[in-house]
Amino acid sequence: MGIDLERFRIAYDKWVEESLQEYRAGNYKEIIKRYPLIVSDGVPWAPYRGRPSEQSFALVTSGGLYLKDSQQPFDTDSIHGDASFREIPKTVRREELGIAHAHYDHSLAEEDINTIFPIHRLNELENEGIVGRVANTHYSFSYVNDVATLVTKTVPKFLSRIKGEGVDVLILVPV
Amino acid sequence: MAEEAGFPTISMGNAADRMAHIKPPRALLVKFARGSMFGEPGNVKRQRSILMDALEALKTMTKPGTIQELPYQWKKPDPK
Repeated sequence: MGIDLERFRIAYDKWVEESLQEYRAGNYKEIIKRYPLIVSDGVPWAPYRGRPSEQSFALVTSGGLYLKDSQQPFDTDSIHGDASFREIPKTVRREELGIAHAHYDHSLAEEDINTIFPIHRLNELENEGIVGRVANTHYSFSYVNDVATLVTKTVPKFLSRIKGEGVDVLILVPV
Repeated sequence: MAEEAGFPTISMGNAADRMAHIKPPRALLVKFARGSMFGEPGNVKRQRSILMDALEALKTMTKPGTIQELPYQWKKPDPK
């Protein structure tokens, strides 16, 4: 894949060092302009085959969702962000979800979680037979700058989960 | 990375410039603000429409990097 992680790590460490003071002061807009954004040199592609009515779907959001009673909130203080993910069951109710993400306005999602995590709509499509199966588990990430940890540790774990659950297609919803 | 592992994805997006960097394999572009990719809270019909658009896009987007702009406007009725 078109990501040079070693090069990223060097640029990222320098960015952290140069930005920490401003980050702590809340000057996010300035430091994000200097962030060593990875631009992939190609577009990854898995051909889509089959029919939605015969397949299994999972949602992936970066909205910082977690289960208030049983999961740790994401780290919203560190300049690295939080490279972990939380597993959200398809049966989740709005009141069970917390939002830990310091870099977007939560008010619309607080009002209706389907604005960033349309699990209730997806369940309805399953009930109508439009999608074959809604996976039992869905995934939330949060704000993350430490892409090296994300790529080397988190993503392999995430891929192994979705493989284990027999997911066919992912619907990605960034915030 | 999910695509490289064999999982087709459809991504939502609301910023063409960011998407040019991220290069999602298949994406739907909406005119909604951050924190509300599926439109206004409580607009069940629209949330459903966008999911249906996503299912359709999986079938119709055959070229890597395709981005389709959706016509929906905040608090305005959906086009026929």
